[in-house]
Amino acid sequence: MTAHWKTALGMLLLGWLCLCCTIPAVAQGHNVDVALVADPDIPVSNLTLAEVRKVFRGERQYWNTNLAVVLLIRAPVARERDVVLKIIYQMSESQFKQFWIAKIFRAESATAPKVVYSNDMANELVTAIPGAIAFVDARDVRPGTKVIRVDGHLPGELGYPLR
Amino acid sequence: MEKRISELEARQGRETAAQTSNPVLPAPAEHQMVPAAAAPSPALHEHGATPTEIREAEIHYPSLQIRGFGDVDFHATDQKDSTSGFSLGQLDLHFASPLSRKVTYFGEVTFTAQPTTYDLNVERSFVRFDYNDYFKISFGKFHTPIGYWNTAFHHGAWLQTTIIRPDMIKFGGTFTPVHIVGAQAEGSIPSGGLGLSYSVALGNGRGANFSKAGDSGDFNNNRAWLAKLSSQPFHLSGLEFGGSYYRDELTPQPGVNFREWIAGGYVTWTRGRPELLAEYENVHHASLQTSQTFNTTGYYAQVAYRLPWQENKWKPYYRFEYIHRPPQEPVWDSTGTPLVEDLVGSTVGVRWDITNFACFKGEYRKVRQDAGLPSVNGTFFQSAFTF
Repeated sequence: MTAHWKTALGMLLLGWLCLCCTIPAVAQGHNVDVALVADPDIPVSNLTLAEVRKVFRGERQYWNTNLAVVLLIRAPVARERDVVLKIIYQMSESQFKQFWIAKIFRAESATAPKVVYSNDMANELVTAIPGAIAFVDARDVRPGTKVIRVDGHLPGELGYPLR
Repeated sequence: MEKRISELEARQGRETAAQTSNPVLPAPAEHQMVPAAAAPSPALHEHGATPTEIREAEIHYPSLQIRGFGDVDFHATDQKDSTSGFSLGQLDLHFASPLSRKVTYFGEVTFTAQPTTYDLNVERSFVRFDYNDYFKISFGKFHTPIGYWNTAFHHGAWLQTTIIRPDMIKFGGTFTPVHIVGAQAEGSIPSGGLGLSYSVALGNGRGANFSKAGDSGDFNNNRAWLAKLSSQPFHLSGLEFGGSYYRDELTPQPGVNFREWIAGGYVTWTRGRPELLAEYENVHHASLQTSQTFNTTGYYAQVAYRLPWQENKWKPYYRFEYIHRPPQEPVWDSTGTPLVEDLVGSTVGVRWDITNFACFKGEYRKVRQDAGLPSVNGTFFQSAFTF
C-alpha cells in the first residue's frame, strides 16, 4: 500500500514538474515579441506605432526621395501576420485583402505587400531589397538586418507594443 | 541588384565559416537585441530566400496587373411603365503597371450593356510620376477628386457597400463632373498627427455633354481647376474629412456662358463598426451675360454596421439623400436630362460577403423626385465580385 502511494505520489510530482516546465514554454511561444526589421540603409531607426501603421497601410511610400518603401508580410496562418493584422492594420484577414484591392484600384499604390513564407526569407529579403521592411519573430532576427524601435522600444523591452 | 545578391551570398558564406570556427558568434553592437528575445530558435528553423526568390521579389518593369470587377443585378419598381428584370451591370477592368521605380500607369475600362450593343468606355487612363510622398503628378483622365465617393469607389460595385450610388454622383448624371482630363498634383502635407493631404488638378472640365469629360479636347477652350484638402488623423484610424472646390466655365448654348463653382465637404469613418459616409456639395452657376445666379444643393448620409457574428459577413446599411435645384436653371435645363427639383430618397439594405471576393446585396429604395410627385418604391438585388 505504501509502495503504491509512493508510486502515485512520484507520478503526481513528475506530472506537476512536467506541467511547470511546459506551461511557461507554451506561454513563451505565444508572447514572443515580433520585431520590425528593415533594410539597414533606410534612414529611420525609431518609429511610433502610428507611423508604423502609416507605413504598412501604404500611406507613407518613400523613406526619402530616392528610396521607396517595400512592404514584406508573412503568408496567412503565421503568427507574425496575425500580430500585424491585429495591431497594425486592425483588420481581419478578409478586410486586409479587400483593403489592398481597393487601394490599388484607387491608384493609391501600384503594388500590394510582398508575401514571404518564413522569417529567414524575410530576414534575407530586407537585406537584399532596398527600402524593404518586415516583421519577424524576435528570436529569428539575424545579424545584418536593422531592428527598428517602435515607440522607442526594442523587442523584449517593457512597453514594446508588438506581441 | 546583382551586386546585392553577390554581397548577400558572400556574407552568408563568411557567416557559415565563422560559425563553424566560433559557434558563439556575438552579434554586432548595433544589432544587439534583448538577449533572451533575440536568441535564435533552433526548433524554428525555416528556409531562407534563394537568389531566385530574391529576384522574384524585386519589381520588374513594366509589371502589369489586371483586376476585374463585375456585377449582375435584378430590379423591380412600382414606377409607371417601368419594366423589371435582370441586367448585366458593368464589367470593369483595371490596370496598374509600374513602369519604373517612380513612374506608374493606371487604367480602367468598362463594358456596359445597352439594348443593342455594349458601351466601351475609358474611365481612367493616366501616368503618374512620384517624386516623393509630398509630390506626385499625373497626366491623363481621372475620376475628379471632388468629395469622397467619386474617388473611393470608382466603377467596381463590389467596392461599395450599397448597390446604387447616391444620385448626386451617379454615372451619367450631371450634378458632379465625374471625370476630368488633364494634370493632377497630389501628396501629403507635413502636418504631424493631422495627416493632411492635398490634390490640385487642371483639366478640360465638362464636355459638350455635361455628364462627360472632354476626352478629345476642351469643348469651350476654358480649363477647369480644382483643389482638395483632406485629413486622416493618425490617432483616429478610419476617420477622414475634407473639402474641395471646383471651378469651370460652361457653354450650354453658343454665346451663352456660365461660371460654375462646386464647393463640397465630406466626413467618413470607414472601420465598419459603424461605417459612416456623409457628403455635401453645392453647385453654383452664374451667367456671364445676365449675372443671374443659381444654386443646386445635394447631400447624402450613409450608415452601415458590420455585424460581429458569422465571420463579419453581414453588413446592414441605410442611406438618406437629398437634391434641390431651382425650378428654372438654364444650365441643367439645357442638358435635355434635367436634374430633379427636390429629390428625397431613402435606401435600406444588407450586404452579405459570401467570400473575400464576392458578395450579395439586397436593398429597398424609396425616392420622391419632386414635391408634387408620388414616391417610387423599388427592390434591387446584386451579386458583385472581383476577379
